[in-house]
Amino acid sequence: MGRPFFMVARMKDTNQSNENVAIFFCRQIDSDQDAHRRSLERERGSRIRFYPLPCTGRVEALHFLKALEAGANKVYLVMCPPGVCRYGQGNTRARKRLEYAKGLIREAGYSDECLEVVSAPGPLPVSIDGIARQLLDRAEVDLPVRPA
Amino acid sequence: MITAERKPLSEIRASIGPYKKVLMVGCGTCVAECAAGGEKEVALLASQLRLMAAKEGREIELKELTIDRQCIYEFIDQVTPVVDKYDVILSLGCGAGVQAMAEVLPKIHIIPALNTTGLAETKEQGLWLEDCRGCGDCKLDRFADVCPITRCAKSLFNGPCGGSKEGRCEVDPDTPCAWQAIVTRLEETGRLDSMDDIEPPANWAKTQGKGPRKIVREDQRT
Repeated sequence: MGRPFFMVARMKDTNQSNENVAIFFCRQIDSDQDAHRRSLERERGSRIRFYPLPCTGRVEALHFLKALEAGANKVYLVMCPPGVCRYGQGNTRARKRLEYAKGLIREAGYSDECLEVVSAPGPLPVSIDGIARQLLDRAEVDLPVRPA
Repeated sequence: MITAERKPLSEIRASIGPYKKVLMVGCGTCVAECAAGGEKEVALLASQLRLMAAKEGREIELKELTIDRQCIYEFIDQVTPVVDKYDVILSLGCGAGVQAMAEVLPKIHIIPALNTTGLAETKEQGLWLEDCRGCGDCKLDRFADVCPITRCAKSLFNGPCGGSKEGRCEVDPDTPCAWQAIVTRLEETGRLDSMDDIEPPANWAKTQGKGPRKIVREDQRT
């Protein structure tokens, strides 16, 4: 586990923002997530990377830290609305893990605002690229730029 | 199993000090079970240290390695071939693991990243409860398999203190009264009469005052 397995490339210089966004999301919220996320990835280039999960309950604190380590300065976890997790408690567990990861981030001297949980608006399915566009529009990057 | 908790990151950072090449060694047995020093925890700590170093503008090289048991020499042998490439070892093993590695690897500084806390059971997912102090003179059969030394805040041998309320300890209301548990279990197993027996004081000489305890089994030795 020595090398980061999430490759969030730094944004190209042609783009004026230094924003790199990683979005972990539950595949259950968007039945056509593959096409939706790829279209946005093509549009925005390397400034945004998606990590589809079979359920957000599969996410671990390490995933968030690795994403930050690999260059993301904002990491979102997009989960299904409360009470509708297909696997029962996946989103509840994911929220706890994100909170745990926030503690680790703070301990390392960073603002925990770089990690954010987002509940998808109901009813499902929704479009992940639509949610991502909203997040990108309001993303405020306040973390120091880390070495690539 | 042996339980431990990770030290605060600031303490680990201070211990690592100026070292640039750090070999992080996890242990895949007890401290992995209690989510303190297994492969995943090694990766988390390494990630934190890399983020911290990046923020401070320092360079640091971290190698992650988790062995099955840090307290057994045969497993520590996996560390031996790579140790020369590093300035220091950051061990995520228990105190026994750290010292066993120090015995095998005498020429390298080994820093503990965990605080070893005791012997515990996995009570439920994410909850580990200490239930043995390793006193060396187990009397669990006389206490309905509930250790009063560990689980009673006052380590009482002959009945409850009288301060418990509604089955909770007066010292820490979050903790069930050990003697409540003992009496309940004695009742359920039809042994309540044994409460009349007076338990003599423990022989503490079996656990302290003579340096490290040692177990010798000649039939196991080479």
